[in-house]
Amino acid sequence: MSTFLETTVDKFTFHVDPTCFFNSEGVWIRAEGDRARLGLSDFLQQRSGDIAFVEVKPAGTILSFGEEFSSIETIKVDIALSSPVSGRVVLVNPALENTPEVINQDPFGEGWLCEIELRNWDTDQPRLLNAAAYFEKMKREAEEEVKRK
Amino acid sequence: MSDTPQKIVIVPCSGIGKSYGTVSRVAAYQVTEEDRPDQTQLIPLALLVMGDEDSRKILAESQAITIDGCKLACAKKMVQQSGGQVAKEFAVLDVFRRYRDFKPQGIAELNESGEKLADALAKEIDAVVDEFSAREEGSTHA
Repeated sequence: MSTFLETTVDKFTFHVDPTCFFNSEGVWIRAEGDRARLGLSDFLQQRSGDIAFVEVKPAGTILSFGEEFSSIETIKVDIALSSPVSGRVVLVNPALENTPEVINQDPFGEGWLCEIELRNWDTDQPRLLNAAAYFEKMKREAEEEVKRK
Repeated sequence: MSDTPQKIVIVPCSGIGKSYGTVSRVAAYQVTEEDRPDQTQLIPLALLVMGDEDSRKILAESQAITIDGCKLACAKKMVQQSGGQVAKEFAVLDVFRRYRDFKPQGIAELNESGEKLADALAKEIDAVVDEFSAREEGSTHA
């Protein structure tokens, strides 16, 4: 089990899983061999609010880097999520169909979105933020958001 | 001692500045003022937060239905902390999941979809009120 990076901004505490890479939107990817899981970062799920519906491209879908692979409808916003890697969707988290709130409850664990068979990980990975870089970006964004309030 | 049956207490959340909070309150007004005024009464969350004795007494003697706008579930928690029993809890988000076309927007005034969602929620509460009332009537006549 990994120890999360953690920061508190105003009254909100955000976690970052150090085993993940992230795109700039806050979609995480955890690669193992030629497969990877994708999900929403804790910061992105907290900022988006309680999730009402989630749709993920079905198994078999071929994704390019940056292509939309999921859409999420929360009590505050509708957001389209772009894939942090190229590959093929091999599995969509079955828990999302009846309990999409699992994303809010456990964004880096049970709330994963889908599994991807990686195509160009060596090319895609350098285009992503590692956990430390995402952590700093997230802190800046959270602090700016608090200042705007 | 009165023979009049206790009204069912409706406690909506007070999520100020949130559409889902507004939906919970609009639904509560519809149930208590229009749909089932003889069987229900509204207790505002603020009175429970203040520890209002009359409200706590009513709660102690009645069935309570809570309506929460978000997962913090303030209405449910406040009823429990005030010594009341939550007979049925509603979450606006769960109702929205059943009526995806009714996406609420607006705070002081809901959009048309929000009003439809509040109406759908109110009708679900009405059904529960009817069920509780029928049960109460059955036990009174038993």
